[in-house]
Amino acid sequence: MHSNDAVSQRGDDGASVPLITHIVQFGRKLHDAGIDVNPSNLIDLSRSLLYIDIANYDDFYAAALATLIINREDMELFSLLFREYWQNREIPFEDEFPASEEKNGNGAGEARQLQKQLQPADGEAPGDAEEHDGDPEQTGYSSRELLVKKDIDGMTDKELDEARKIIAELIAILANRKSRRFSPAKSGQQLDFRKIFRRSMPYGEYCLKLSYKTHRLKKNKLILFCDVSGSMERYSRFLIQLICAMGAKISNIEVAVFSTRMTSITPYLNRKDIDEVIKQMSDQVHDWAGGTNIGGCLRELNEQQAHQMLSSHTVAVILSDGWDQGDADLMRSEMEQLRRRVNKIIWLNPLLGNANYQPLCKGMQTALPFLDHFLPVHNLESLSEATRLLRTLWH
Amino acid sequence: MFHSIEEIEQQFATQGYIADRHLATTVYLATSLGKPLYLEGEPGVGKTEVAKVLAKSLDTDLIRLQCYEGLDTNLALYEWNYLRQMLEVRLQEARGVDKDEIGNNIFEEQFLLKRPLLQAIQSAGKRPVLLIDEIDRSDDEFEAFLLEVLSDFQITIPEVGTIKAEQPPIVVLTSNRTREMHDALKRRCLYHWIDYPTLEKELNIVLTKVPEIKETLSTQICKFMELLRREDFYKRPGIAETLDWANALLSLGIDELDQGTIETTLSCILKYKQDQDKLSGESLDKALAVTKNFKGGPGVSAQGSIN
Repeated sequence: MHSNDAVSQRGDDGASVPLITHIVQFGRKLHDAGIDVNPSNLIDLSRSLLYIDIANYDDFYAAALATLIINREDMELFSLLFREYWQNREIPFEDEFPASEEKNGNGAGEARQLQKQLQPADGEAPGDAEEHDGDPEQTGYSSRELLVKKDIDGMTDKELDEARKIIAELIAILANRKSRRFSPAKSGQQLDFRKIFRRSMPYGEYCLKLSYKTHRLKKNKLILFCDVSGSMERYSRFLIQLICAMGAKISNIEVAVFSTRMTSITPYLNRKDIDEVIKQMSDQVHDWAGGTNIGGCLRELNEQQAHQMLSSHTVAVILSDGWDQGDADLMRSEMEQLRRRVNKIIWLNPLLGNANYQPLCKGMQTALPFLDHFLPVHNLESLSEATRLLRTLWH
Repeated sequence: MFHSIEEIEQQFATQGYIADRHLATTVYLATSLGKPLYLEGEPGVGKTEVAKVLAKSLDTDLIRLQCYEGLDTNLALYEWNYLRQMLEVRLQEARGVDKDEIGNNIFEEQFLLKRPLLQAIQSAGKRPVLLIDEIDRSDDEFEAFLLEVLSDFQITIPEVGTIKAEQPPIVVLTSNRTREMHDALKRRCLYHWIDYPTLEKELNIVLTKVPEIKETLSTQICKFMELLRREDFYKRPGIAETLDWANALLSLGIDELDQGTIETTLSCILKYKQDQDKLSGESLDKALAVTKNFKGGPGVSAQGSIN
């Protein structure tokens, strides 16, 4: 049936013009649904019709899928749209999308919506960040003012500026690593044989100058895993605010907040109202009375981020006091898994600032064997100290 | 080159690769349109095998480039053989070659170490199959470089000139998706996701690859694997594991699955200690019971799960 429909698109004289119009229309439809298709893909699909029988629905579907889709995640939505378009031409286009977007709740539709929301914020981001950091008192958002006061109580503009610098430096240290690739250098431990040989060519066999090569710097991926339960909330919020203030400077970063459940807030990092977002998330998702379930949240992190962010070039930073009310075995096994997948794990604990503090609580005890660094972050000095330590150790 | 989708299905089947119509169509289009084929899927579902079988079906060379982080143009494209070049200069001196002539020939092809990409482009005769395996392991720089090579199939070596492929190779890229590749690269390719096979297809594969196996055992194996893949393991077993297991059970002379057998041969299918621990006691009993009760032949939709 459907195949007959498809054939009829050719028109009586067999001319392919109407069919191409349909292909273009279909491409536009995909685009509207959030699946990006570029003209060269559509050309490929048209070319492929030379080789396959368009009357065979399955083959035509396979061809369209192979030429137009480049992500597995889009396949479901694609097959839906494909059926809608090529099987039943009676449905008006505008009516279809709400349904398909609902079906793919976390898919293209939502992403597109989010993108729309983000767009205005994107354009203003740098200036905006400047404004907040420079003078928090003058911002127009009362909620923000309140939070800044609450989080960074008694901090002057100068201190705030300093805090931003320290965080920027900390992130720079965490985010850079030595690549295995080389680039030319004035001095170094390794000779660049290729270059030496080429340079000495004009002088016959004499090698006048040695050339060196050294490892390039590459970017790490960074995961920030912040506890927002109880007293930890103000530290996490402080840190996240500072990171957001740097906005576009950081790429390859994943920020998640957790208490009983984990929520990724990376998509919101560029938004002006990040405080509002954190607050909403805390209200919605996090069960404040339920205590912290670090193991369960780590598990969510391990599962959700396994492909995108967890690799041998990932640095995971956990900000928590380690008071865990969940299953210690689960936490151990999840820490173990995280340990295997990422390059470094750093645990920042505000309680460590207290001279009498001993990491005796169950959660901290469980986590300690898997950590590369266990550092205090109760105030700016300690943060700066931590930064200095990491710089000496890593670079 | 292939002339129809059916021909590919047949050829692949002859080589012992059971391809569904969807994959066959994509391969057919890739060879006909001259576009690279980008295969993605979980480890062990037979991505690399597609390239091997493709080369065999076309009776042509398979040139393989295994990607890893730090792979650079010197290892993927070409490198001058410095030692031979230096030796050549010394030899010419020793032979008393005229001073102006010395070293004139050292940038000739005989001093060129050809790496896979250059090999694929220079190859004479039939179009070779170029397998770029596990592209997700390479880094961004290499990805960008590959984009360039795959778009016009030509390579410039400063000392020699530009080498253009007389006939572009058939390119197959595979990815386990440990990282997301850039869209630009994928856009230049035909994309195909290879999923875990259906029970019917997997049974077919087992019977093709391990022909000596009895049908009862192979049905049980495939059913058991199907159940396992529904569970939440760190590394779910692929077809490669199924075949390993079938071979292992066959060489142990086992006719039917039982608890002891599964426990002793578990390392064939689950490669992580935590996964093995997960499949023990009750969950194993349950899976085994479902497997044993499964009498329906291939094609019958399965019911029940471990938990």
